[in-house]
Amino acid sequence: MKLARTTLLAILTIGLGPVAIVQAQDSGGEPGMNELERRLNVDSVMFNATIDQKPDNDLLELGRLVAMGSAEQGGSGMACITCHGVDGQGDGSAAFPRLDGQAGWYLFKQLQDYASGDRPNRVMTGIAQRLTEREREAVAAYYATMPAGDLKTAHGDIDGRVLQWGGQLAAVGSAEKGIPACVNCHGAQGTGLPPSVPYLAGQYAGYMQLQLELWKEGTRDNDAMDVMSTIADKMSKEDMRAVAEYYARVSNPADEGPEPEVDYDMPAAE
Amino acid sequence: MVRELPKTDVVIVGAGWTGLAAAKELADAGQRCVVIERGDWRHDASNFGAPEEHDELKYARRKEHMIDTQTKTLSFRNSSDQTALPMRRLGSFLPGKGLGGAGIHWNGQLWRPLPSDLKMRSHYADRYGEAILDGLNVQDWGVTYDELEPHLDFFDRVCGTAGVAGNLNGETKEGGNPFEGPRSADYPNPPMKASPPLQLFQKTAQEMGYHPFQMPSANVTKAYENAYGAQLHPCTYCGFCERFGCGYYAKADPIICIYDVVKDHENFELRMNSQVLRVEKSADGKTATGVTYLDERGQEVFQPADTVCLNAYALWNVHLMLVSGLGKPYDPETGEGTVGRNYAYQTLAAAGVFFDKEVWSNPFMGAGALGMTIDDFNGDNFDHTDLGFVGGGYISANQTNGRPINYHPTPPDTPSWGPEWKKAVRENYLHHVGIVCHGSSVAVPGNYLDLDPTYKDAYGQPLLRMTFDFPENDRRMSAYVLSKAEEIARNMDNVRAVSTVNRAAEGESYSVVPYQTTHNTGGAVIGTDPTTSVVNRYGQMWDHHNVFVFGACLFPQNLGYNPTGPLMGLAYWTLDHMKNDYLQNPRPLMDA
Repeated sequence: MKLARTTLLAILTIGLGPVAIVQAQDSGGEPGMNELERRLNVDSVMFNATIDQKPDNDLLELGRLVAMGSAEQGGSGMACITCHGVDGQGDGSAAFPRLDGQAGWYLFKQLQDYASGDRPNRVMTGIAQRLTEREREAVAAYYATMPAGDLKTAHGDIDGRVLQWGGQLAAVGSAEKGIPACVNCHGAQGTGLPPSVPYLAGQYAGYMQLQLELWKEGTRDNDAMDVMSTIADKMSKEDMRAVAEYYARVSNPADEGPEPEVDYDMPAAE
Repeated sequence: MVRELPKTDVVIVGAGWTGLAAAKELADAGQRCVVIERGDWRHDASNFGAPEEHDELKYARRKEHMIDTQTKTLSFRNSSDQTALPMRRLGSFLPGKGLGGAGIHWNGQLWRPLPSDLKMRSHYADRYGEAILDGLNVQDWGVTYDELEPHLDFFDRVCGTAGVAGNLNGETKEGGNPFEGPRSADYPNPPMKASPPLQLFQKTAQEMGYHPFQMPSANVTKAYENAYGAQLHPCTYCGFCERFGCGYYAKADPIICIYDVVKDHENFELRMNSQVLRVEKSADGKTATGVTYLDERGQEVFQPADTVCLNAYALWNVHLMLVSGLGKPYDPETGEGTVGRNYAYQTLAAAGVFFDKEVWSNPFMGAGALGMTIDDFNGDNFDHTDLGFVGGGYISANQTNGRPINYHPTPPDTPSWGPEWKKAVRENYLHHVGIVCHGSSVAVPGNYLDLDPTYKDAYGQPLLRMTFDFPENDRRMSAYVLSKAEEIARNMDNVRAVSTVNRAAEGESYSVVPYQTTHNTGGAVIGTDPTTSVVNRYGQMWDHHNVFVFGACLFPQNLGYNPTGPLMGLAYWTLDHMKNDYLQNPRPLMDA
């Protein structure tokens, strides 16, 4: 039923300008197009690692179409919004990561890796393979332009000591186990280091824990320097759960993008 | 009242590379080891993590990992007719302190000496005649490359060194350094990734008939389990090696490579914040009885030991010998005595290459040992006939960092401040690479270390006094090697401008102010003749057989290479002879 609804949405949204959209989930709405365009110049959105041209409005528009399920090669078969939401915040099940405001190049590389099999995934590999490279860029840029922000999803009860251990792993790692701290690469607040390092703050715990397990077992092995599998290898399942639950609770405040340019009227001299 | 502690088997002064290696090897051999370190406990995971560690102001400018000159420094002069003054700020070199010592803030450029380097006097005398060495205190090391090779190889496996072998068991290999001595095994890890400027250097050097290869690197390129079972991680090219600790577990250092695997050993004890004041001698003066130190509460403590290992920084080992009356101090007037003799440094020059907009260097992506190197003008790899000097240096395009405060390359004739300077920095930051000439340094009678007659440190001990200027030999060498580097720079594609700097230029005295390199060598040199060396070829003091000396203070003269690899080869060589010979039957291992 949900699939049918989103297909309908995709058809509705072909066309320019703001369109009223039924939400794939309750929280938030699609950010206005003008707002997204303004954020195209934010560092984390720009693809300065791979493409020559900055993302532009055409790319953003194409990205929106892909997100809604439309694409040149017949589409992905599924609209991104089905699982990841119109606003990129996921469907709250924690099975699907939130994408809003994630580093653009990182998102693009994941699609490339899903398509090539470097990051094998039963659902995403097929979807990515049915997108052109341009479409992968476009949809990555589209979700990257969404300001992240804190989710209103409730976190389950958890032992405070587990959270404290997770916070310790995040901040200073473990000298005993030889685990470097997450903040080394993922930023002091866990908000990522674009273009290549994703944010962890406010990401779904279930997703992050699963990824650590996949790194450890070697299923996922697609970071440039091969750092993550080495780290995950030293972590127990409890370590993974602790650090994932910790980061899920860390605030990832919405990045408002660059200040809008404002013409100031000079106050009259007194 | 000095408190006397129960006796231990071995007391080790300093918890850096050599001190922790000694502790690990000797603890495994059943020796109870007490390691005494003046600085703080620290660990890569908890103390060196980004983003705090990537604080250029704190660590690179204010040098918070280094020795504190208010408590411990040295005095300096260029020649013995001057009055030395205390070095109140660190500059030319940066001795470390704390767990891991200077080994935590090295770049990870991990070299081996050339076979001919280790018999420098006899090699040059054979090839060119004795006269080429006139006026120089150049000596043989008394230990050969073949003897050191297994130990150099072992250290490669402690660090997970990344590189391409140039000589594997005598067979020359493509892509490596064809001049190096034979390796018994390949590098444990593949070389680092080469950035665009490094590839350009490689291409040009090849076209000019030289033999470029990737610099051997202790910035590890793959997940690696070292010889002791410690796990190292791959380098992320963050550009914060030099002067910083590595929170990524990617730059081999004494903490993650050795300390972590020895810290729980029943024979290992580490005492932090403890300053060794002197080595005590027996009544007959023939042996050491232990060390006296100030413990963390500032109280004087005597730690008796059967064996004393000196593993402090090169300069401080010499200082400790001088204040303890170990060995015979060098007298520059008569040339007699050995402690403080043959102090040498490193002779640095560089060419800066400024590319046009076609070539992007992106210097913020770097690593301490990310370099493309030629060894064609190092050691005696080239004909020295009629050149007027001995020695040489490697030439290497290095991309070590692009730190915002330090890294502002501007082409020649740029003003040093103002809008033109700012414009030049903007235009060149992303389009520049430095080519370093890392030159050797010969020992001469006028360069030495002794005790300062005037100035004292915070413990009331006279400062170490350094008397040093670049020998004429090294000035000629540096100008020659720099001219070769400049030639390569000018032949590279897309080059708009080339700048040069030579720290050992004719007519200029060595200065302790600008940073050059933390490669101070000599002062307690190794050899086979007690009149010209402090320790025998096993690193054992001639005058006190239960004192073993480690580190770059052993070098009779300095190599064209970074010292960590060679000095760790020597350390494992010494430890091998301690474990398998000396400890079963303590005595002088060589007749004086």
